Amino acid sequence: MKNLSFVRLFALLAIASLLLAACGGGAVEETPGATDMTSVPGAGEVETAAPGAPATAGETPMDETPVSETPMAETPAAGETVVATEAAETPAGTPVGTPEAGVPVTGEVDCLDAQQGDTITMLYQWSGVEETKLNQVLRPLVDACGIVIEPESTRDQALLDTRVQAGTPPDIAFWNVAQLVQYQDQLQAMDELGAEAGSYPPFFVEQGTVEGKWVGLPVKSDIKTIIWYSPVVFEAKGYEVPTTWENLDALVEQMVANGDVPWSMGFESGDSTGWSGSDFIQDILLVTQGPDYVMGIISGEVPYNDPGVVEAYEIYGKWATDPAYTVGGAQGTLSTPFRDAIFAPFSDPPQAMMVKQSGFAGGEIAAQFPDYEFGTDYDFFQIPGAQGVQGGADWMMAFNDTPAVRALVTYLSSPLGGANWANAGFDLSANTAAQGNYADPGLEKRAEILANAEAFTPDIGDSIPGGFGKAEWTAIVNFVNGSPLDQELEAVAQAQAESIAQ
Amino acid sequence: MEVTTAASRRPVPVIMKQGGLVPWLYLLPALIVMATFIVYPAVNTFVLSFQNANGTASASQTCVPNQPCWGIFENYRYALTSPIMRLAFFNNLIWILLMVSWTVILGLLIATLADRVRYESLAKAIIFLPMAISFVGAGVIWRFVYDFRPGETQIGLLNAFITALGFPPVSWLTTPQVNTIALIAVGTWIWTGFCMTILAAALKSVPVDIIEAGRVDGANEWQVFWSITIPTILPTIIVVITTMTINVLKIFDIVYVMTGGNFGTEVIANRLYQEMYSRFNTGRAAAIAVVLIGLIIPVMIINIRRFRSQEEAR
Repeated sequence: MKNLSFVRLFALLAIASLLLAACGGGAVEETPGATDMTSVPGAGEVETAAPGAPATAGETPMDETPVSETPMAETPAAGETVVATEAAETPAGTPVGTPEAGVPVTGEVDCLDAQQGDTITMLYQWSGVEETKLNQVLRPLVDACGIVIEPESTRDQALLDTRVQAGTPPDIAFWNVAQLVQYQDQLQAMDELGAEAGSYPPFFVEQGTVEGKWVGLPVKSDIKTIIWYSPVVFEAKGYEVPTTWENLDALVEQMVANGDVPWSMGFESGDSTGWSGSDFIQDILLVTQGPDYVMGIISGEVPYNDPGVVEAYEIYGKWATDPAYTVGGAQGTLSTPFRDAIFAPFSDPPQAMMVKQSGFAGGEIAAQFPDYEFGTDYDFFQIPGAQGVQGGADWMMAFNDTPAVRALVTYLSSPLGGANWANAGFDLSANTAAQGNYADPGLEKRAEILANAEAFTPDIGDSIPGGFGKAEWTAIVNFVNGSPLDQELEAVAQAQAESIAQ
Repeated sequence: MEVTTAASRRPVPVIMKQGGLVPWLYLLPALIVMATFIVYPAVNTFVLSFQNANGTASASQTCVPNQPCWGIFENYRYALTSPIMRLAFFNNLIWILLMVSWTVILGLLIATLADRVRYESLAKAIIFLPMAISFVGAGVIWRFVYDFRPGETQIGLLNAFITALGFPPVSWLTTPQVNTIALIAVGTWIWTGFCMTILAAALKSVPVDIIEAGRVDGANEWQVFWSITIPTILPTIIVVITTMTINVLKIFDIVYVMTGGNFGTEVIANRLYQEMYSRFNTGRAAAIAVVLIGLIIPVMIINIRRFRSQEEAR
């Protein structure tokens, strides 16, 4: 009976796999086959051919932004690029970037006590085009001082956490605002490293200061409180850019009356589905309640199920669930990828009139419709009536105090560093000296809004550590899908209390 | 006693003597591997489940004032009573009921039918093919099938069908209840091949003489199937059912890729992942893992008992 033993063998195999599977399932180490994009480029091996040489690998935008809480990337792409040149090939102080870019900035890179060959280890989440742009920003420093940068790119925060806990943190990490609080004890104070506070708007320095210690240098930043629209379409249909919140509301109703769909909303973003909704809610809160209220939510003074928040959700819900107000109604909002939603007002014929999306949408539109021009085919306006701007920055934090780190901090917080950042067009620079140096008119306009903001609030979800952000997304997804609002907000308020208690 | 063995008369070389220690030495490599990769993580998980988010203090520290609190079992309060976990348990139950029955019934049906045709191996290969695709890949493929677009054009296969028949398009993945069924369909598509393969092997082992005897006694094919084939392969069917049950209890990838646990599709393993990697709460994640092991162990015991009694019967 050969067959019988065959069955027995199968049964044995099945049981063996059961045992393995069951025990394996219990282990915390079990990781799904998700993406782990740790790339460890060999330190200082690759030499970029010329300053600002484009990375061909990074030219094509990927279909979906890698899962990050706030995708501010213009065109995130996989790929690896490395900085680190040693010799001073270009004269120190020459700003990099395209020659026609903005106001020329000249100046010397101050190397302080950094020696030729000093290294800086770095950990950041950027890759592809973003990494190239960072290299472009850092090149003058690398060239002038011979500092060798040893970068590692990962989106896995566990890597940073493990390194810090093991006592071997990178010299420099570019990470999120929540890590400033998490690592306040391990981080070096920015002013002691030579950072120039005067280069930044006060709200940025405040946000980077934890219990009186300035621990984070704001770098790549973006604003969210803006609405993208098509000036051509607006003109053809006789719509005008609203100047007050009431105007906006009236404009929306006018569009509906004319049979135009005012909004394009899209939540779908894989694991992070819902962030575009929570961004919108925060912008509404900035209009109806103001920045202090938003900061109150972050500090825990205002519970997330406060009547003010409820009101904001109701305003939003009216728009996001009705097919007359948004493309496809509730199911359209839930199942449209956020990136596709950006394109709806610019398709021919337009499917919607407006889309509320962060500054990065400009890059998406430019990539999708290469012959469109900023200012005529696509443009944006600040949400009228907002008593402040919602935005975010990636933060540079220093774990070690070395001469090379001091040189880097001094360079990035200097006017030269800000100008070079703008030249590279790596989103916005928090450094005020960047203004006037942006090659891209869209970036320049965003920079103006940021510079003139009466107040600034970071993303609520990013600022509260732990599971709050995810709870916020879940709530808005369920609310748009028809779940009772009070029950959903109650759950978020609980997550808020838990996260802040930690 | 006169009778002594030859071995006892001659002295045995020391190296041949097996004291109590030698078997352990043979087992040692396996034990080390087991201890490092299974026992230690399991024990550590258990310990972590009684601690706070980063394992630095007891779980009782995480209690929020004026809220129910289970002291050191606080993480278990979350794992057993929170609304999202209750939803996950409910969904897992639906997954078990539907997916296990669908895969086993379909697998048996296909195995039985394929047994009688000439192109048996080709038919089976096609059914088995989805097993070769990664679950994440399968999730992405099926997202296209279930795709929903607001507006006129539907690129999703399923919506193309139903709009062609004159029905309005359905947003398969965001409509509660419908979406869990849609996900289970994907799981069934992947796992039917596995069930079919094992059941087909069992079918081949049903002794031909019993079947012949049944036919001679006048049984029709239907009676042969229910009264001879099924009882003979029942042990294998139970193995398949228990294997599938454990698989389904741990279901993660399909849910993670296709809905991310949103829209009411949360399952236990996805919650575990979310607690661990997006909320960084190791305590809760470990508690969920322990609960999940607790659910799986009874199924395993059934499986092992069944296997043992079968061995004894031989």
